[in-house]
Amino acid sequence: MIETIYIEKKIKNHPRTKSILKKFKKSRFIEIDKYAEIFNKRNQNFRIQKANPNLILAHKNDGFVLRTPEGFGIGSSKNFYFSHMYNCIYDCRYCFLQGMFSSANYVIFVNFEDFDASIKNVIDQNINYKITFFSGYDCDSLALENVTGFAKHILPIFQQYPEVEIEFRTKSIQREPFMSIEPMENVIMAYSLIPDLMSSSLDNKVPSISKRIQVISDLALRGWKIGLRFDPLIHGKDWKFLYEDLLEKVYNSIPLEAIHSVSVGPLRFPKKMFKDIFNLHPHEPLFTSPLYSNDGIISYDTNIEEEMSVFCKNLTLKYLDNSQIFRCYA
Amino acid sequence: MNKSEFLNKMSVRWVIALKEEAKVILDYYEMALINKKTLYPIFKNIEETHWLILSGIGRHNSAAATSYLYIISNASKWTSWINIGIAGSGKGDYGNIYLVDKIFNQNSYITYPATMPKSNLPKMSLLTTDIPITNYSSKELIDMEGSAFFDIASKLTSKEFICIMKIISDGPENNIKQLTKLRIIELLKLNLTKIAQVVSYYENLSENENQIKEKPEIFFKISSNWHFSVTQLSQLENLLRRLKVFCDNNEIMDLIKQSKSSSSVINSLNNKIKTNKVNWSDI
Repeated sequence: MIETIYIEKKIKNHPRTKSILKKFKKSRFIEIDKYAEIFNKRNQNFRIQKANPNLILAHKNDGFVLRTPEGFGIGSSKNFYFSHMYNCIYDCRYCFLQGMFSSANYVIFVNFEDFDASIKNVIDQNINYKITFFSGYDCDSLALENVTGFAKHILPIFQQYPEVEIEFRTKSIQREPFMSIEPMENVIMAYSLIPDLMSSSLDNKVPSISKRIQVISDLALRGWKIGLRFDPLIHGKDWKFLYEDLLEKVYNSIPLEAIHSVSVGPLRFPKKMFKDIFNLHPHEPLFTSPLYSNDGIISYDTNIEEEMSVFCKNLTLKYLDNSQIFRCYA
Repeated sequence: MNKSEFLNKMSVRWVIALKEEAKVILDYYEMALINKKTLYPIFKNIEETHWLILSGIGRHNSAAATSYLYIISNASKWTSWINIGIAGSGKGDYGNIYLVDKIFNQNSYITYPATMPKSNLPKMSLLTTDIPITNYSSKELIDMEGSAFFDIASKLTSKEFICIMKIISDGPENNIKQLTKLRIIELLKLNLTKIAQVVSYYENLSENENQIKEKPEIFFKISSNWHFSVTQLSQLENLLRRLKVFCDNNEIMDLIKQSKSSSSVINSLNNKIKTNKVNWSDI
């Protein structure tokens, strides 16, 4: 239940605003000038807001499509991302959003058509490159699909450009609109997964791993391409056993021909971001791990990162081709 | 719980304009005038968890009193700040209490309180004016202190720790001239249960934050036994927070008992972290 919805005056009559507001009949609506009046102001506490977040409907003015950070991608020569939303309904303890924003309220940008134009523009400007778009870098791309309808809106654009890939990365068990439409070869449904035991401690408010695997399997059988994102890799006692269990379970539940790619990525935070997250959750067991500061990045020891990545890669190679496996460093 | 256990556990600071508005609160939370000469009347309970200042009417008084109480009561960053009082309204129901979720003043400066308690209390916006207003028109709540209180309190703590509650005392059909001191006390009394429920949320919020943010007790013991630089103290605090998740104090003291210097203490604690493998089945 969202108690309060803040609405930028500029988009209060936007059809998408009206359609979203219809879904929250009991909420209190407050008109605002700019979402920045509420969102990410100084002297806010992400952890406390996360207990009872509000929703902000806003207009995004610029920066619709951006290049991904170095080391983020699944094989294309150019990678871009866009976020129709800031923040996430889940509360994962390793999530960078809790260090990036001081506010846990959800911001939904309702001017999807401006995203469309920017995406088309980027495609036109990169006609000679293999490019991939990532939806929902600053949020979970599908977790609030039943409210925003963003995936349903954006998919037809990619129907026009079958050579351009789009990845929807999620931890949700959202099946629509994908079960109701014909699968598209250039769409990757990517799922972030960590072992069940770790997930039950770290992935707060997130559907269980088994439920996620069930949805992955259903979408794969429907014909959608699947991305498996073992990112971040989490260390701990019996990590080999836990990851082996997870990977075997996944590879034995999904038709392998549906798997587009697998990526493994280490747990990494920029130093300042880690400091903010640690201050929010100083008693979090994840942060009792052997984490080190190196060149402004907090991560596990390189040997641990390497051992975990190689272990997961080797297990994956039993099922998939080397060309389908990527290491992500961003 | 004895007094020392209560201290620093949770803390609530009240800024209230009139003594009639404060009376019910003072009685309920058992606060008494402090035995000290102060610029504004200040009250506190025996445990010193609740403090209340009578600011008088107006934005300047409210701002000054909020700052003054912060200093006098040694409030922490996780102190909850509450402003409660009567308000005029052109929209709400006479005698009802409302949480404030939007504050603006006649200069059109608008602020928004952050996350609020999950409560059945209705919410309204608040206009803070410098002169009494009797043209209520379509205004939700009107007072003379709220915006100044919020501006200052939000410099002292995170916005989630600030709460403004208003009880409607006058409006188009309830002439302010008929408002008596006794009636104000009565209005507060009628809403006391609701007030206490909201305040209980802020007490818990403050207590939880204190538990999260307070330095581990062992930090003081170790820092008094070795000489640490400022940087090392920060390292020590971080290491101890992490170690406390999986080690008890005795284990930590055992790790460092042979240490000859502060660097050696830091190294020993670091080594313990370095070899830790989180046991996810224990969590």
